[in-house]
Amino acid sequence: MPAADLVTSLRGIVGDAACLVRPEDLFVYEADGLTLHRARPRAVVLPREKAEVAPIVRTCRTFGVPFVARGAGTGLSGGALALDGGVVIECARMNRILEVNPQDRYAVVQPGVINAELSKAVAPHGLFYAPDPSSQAACTIGGNIAENSGGAHTLKYGTTTDHVLALEVVLPDGESVSFGSRTGWTAGYDLVGAFIGSEGTLGVVTEATVRLTPLPEAVETLLAVFPDVFSACRSVGAIIGAGLVPAALEVIDQRTIAAVEASVYAAGLPTDAGAMLLIELDGPSLAVAREVERVRGLLSRSGASRVEVACDERERQQFWRARKGAFGAMGRLAPDLYLYDTVVPRVRLPEVLGRICEIGDRYRLRLSNVFHAGDGNLHPIISFDRRDRGEMERVLAAGEEILRVCVEAGGVLSGEHGIGNEKQKFMGLLFGEDDLDAMRRLRAAFDPDGICNPGKVLPTPGACVEAGAVKRHA
Amino acid sequence: MTSERPLEALRAAVGDRAVVEHEPVAVDGVSLTATFRPGSGEELAAGLRVLSQQGMAALVCGGGTRLCQGNRLRRADLALEVTGLDGVLELDAEDGVVHVRAGTEIAVLRALVRAEGWELPLDPPGDGTSVGGALASAAIGPRFAQPRQIVLGLEVVLASGARTRCGGRVVKNVTGYDLAKLYTGSFGSLGVIEAAWLRLRPLPERSLFLAAALPEGAEGFERALTAARRPSARVAALVDRALGAAIDPATAREGSVLLLELAGDESLVKADRRNLVERTGAREVDEVMVERLRSVQAGIFHPGGLRFRISSLPSRVGEVAQRLARDGGAVLAYPARGLLYARFPVGLASDEGAVAAAERSARLAADAGGGGFVIEDAPDWAKQGRDVFGDPGPLLPLFRELKRQYDPKGVLNPGRFAGHL
Repeated sequence: MPAADLVTSLRGIVGDAACLVRPEDLFVYEADGLTLHRARPRAVVLPREKAEVAPIVRTCRTFGVPFVARGAGTGLSGGALALDGGVVIECARMNRILEVNPQDRYAVVQPGVINAELSKAVAPHGLFYAPDPSSQAACTIGGNIAENSGGAHTLKYGTTTDHVLALEVVLPDGESVSFGSRTGWTAGYDLVGAFIGSEGTLGVVTEATVRLTPLPEAVETLLAVFPDVFSACRSVGAIIGAGLVPAALEVIDQRTIAAVEASVYAAGLPTDAGAMLLIELDGPSLAVAREVERVRGLLSRSGASRVEVACDERERQQFWRARKGAFGAMGRLAPDLYLYDTVVPRVRLPEVLGRICEIGDRYRLRLSNVFHAGDGNLHPIISFDRRDRGEMERVLAAGEEILRVCVEAGGVLSGEHGIGNEKQKFMGLLFGEDDLDAMRRLRAAFDPDGICNPGKVLPTPGACVEAGAVKRHA
Repeated sequence: MTSERPLEALRAAVGDRAVVEHEPVAVDGVSLTATFRPGSGEELAAGLRVLSQQGMAALVCGGGTRLCQGNRLRRADLALEVTGLDGVLELDAEDGVVHVRAGTEIAVLRALVRAEGWELPLDPPGDGTSVGGALASAAIGPRFAQPRQIVLGLEVVLASGARTRCGGRVVKNVTGYDLAKLYTGSFGSLGVIEAAWLRLRPLPERSLFLAAALPEGAEGFERALTAARRPSARVAALVDRALGAAIDPATAREGSVLLLELAGDESLVKADRRNLVERTGAREVDEVMVERLRSVQAGIFHPGGLRFRISSLPSRVGEVAQRLARDGGAVLAYPARGLLYARFPVGLASDEGAVAAAERSARLAADAGGGGFVIEDAPDWAKQGRDVFGDPGPLLPLFRELKRQYDPKGVLNPGRFAGHL
């Protein structure tokens, strides 16, 4: 059927102004935060109410056109791209907080509510929403649910899946259903658990009930200087091995320190430091005060040459600026950035980091490391110029080698960015055909026609890169 | 009953040792005369392939401590018991993760990880509970949150015999669908758990136990919730005087019994103890109280009858408990978790009227709490014609489709799960 009919039907649901079809309007929806991958949608609809979502989905079905939900488009794996001329359902206008219950510590929100806005709204009640992805000032709860987003504080607080109690979802067949309950207990299959992290392939979230967490009574932030990244990683092992669970443990390597200090994000870091470790401890004052002392001792014993404790909020923010400015600082070195996302068992960090740096050097890339060391979540960043075709190819080849190294070390392909259409061909590195088939069964139960965000997460059978079956790059 | 030919086929595939014929054992009115007890993942897979090909059905179980839960089996030709798959495959004492086979007893695993300075965050009632059984039934105890939060990865053999895995050993992972969540709590209806990667917790620096007598009624629940939200409180249970007598008779003479475990940083635990002693008159008690609490939760002191698990918003737990008590239920409540257990007596003979009345009470109480309920234990006759998980409502088609995708021939625990799947 001609596209005009589809558009007319969609406009009948959301109104003319909330259905975009002009190329200049669609342009911004061609990519998410991973700008290497692009696909232009056929149309973009911007519903304001959940009641509009089911008719949109049913209309797409009628016309046999795939659809994909999108939050703020900050994802980093191409998950929100509409492949095959699909329709983007942009949920950002469904951005109301519907209920806050401080007594029972939950909030009911529309999917377009911005992550940081929710924490801000509930702060007067002494509560916050714990998952804090780096993009939290822009990303939405709906997007977080699709990606099972983490953040710097997941070591202690867990990821999105630990903080969602119930969901209202429009299934790919256009039916609206509810999973889970406000109490967090439910009978039957754990569909909330299965849905979170499904990258928009099982349906569209129209409402979410999320857990709120009491704000910690005390927060202490420490910055430790190490001669090299390996001793920084060893101290992370020492802290965790001692039974401490800091809210965050972030390592910044020498290359990143140099980039940060040469940029507007300069935080007065010692440029001769081999690596720095940012530690955040939070909880009841009594416990935190003792933990600070224990951590100080462990840091000195594992080779820290200097340890500073932030004396006030201003200094705390300055410490974090060094961590959070890494992305921007690397970004000013070249027009494009590629941010990898893998996880390895914590104890393998030093060895894997060494190999990643070696890969970066071998491919002549500007690669630096700043990462969530506490949960083994690595984020090598490469700044490059995509117009330089040779460099572009080296970036991708290095990425594949890095994935292989991580998987060989017992790690996984993604810790928080998702598979999207970036890594699906590498799923075979980690999973066998039977494992992938078990995942396909889940998808088939929800979306037998393959109309909901097709082309993501799972590789096309046979198109998978298998362990040991890919050509070696020089 | 088991016909000879399929058993022979099973024996041919897995060897004689793994298949035992025995005197009839009745489970939910189904008489089982054979047990398949695989000694390895390969045997489990080979056996399931045969069951699938032969059109057989199996009651899947671990330590057999939760056979009372779930709906009546529609059919079963034999029991499939995973206790032969036992042992720790890897314990990473630096990372605090463990890879363990499904048949390993929880008590054994707890001791092993404890020796390395870690705590296993699973404490369901039942000494013989296996890791696989605890995960499959999403079993919980007084101390820890739901098992879904500690499962990092699973190895699961599907009904077809396909050996699959999902998740992994790392604590942060979004590589593919989170199937581990789907399998956890699915009562073996989608696949048989062969092994699991679990996240451990550091042992607390200090822990101690307190008991306090609280007034019966709303005030007691409010005070219990406040106590339960002290930073170091991890067990916080309130039981009525009748159940309390089985835990701490001295305290139960004075009122409802609030039982607390404080754990964590030593200075914090001490501060919380001071606070609670002052505000509630609590006194320190022995750890055995928690064991008794676990037994009460499991209904061991009162076998028979109907046991419900009811969820509620924390602020309404008091109201829920009082409704249940008014209708004749004995109630154990975990206020901060929004969780209650209620036991109603029913006669040995088929007294459908009593069951229906208790069920109505549980439903109304759960509605008042903003939650739901499941029947955790009931006499066989009371389960007939009833879905102990409650009505799946509009989710039933999706549940059915999931079952069809993973176990199209109905090999695994047919009828037992929600929606009689």
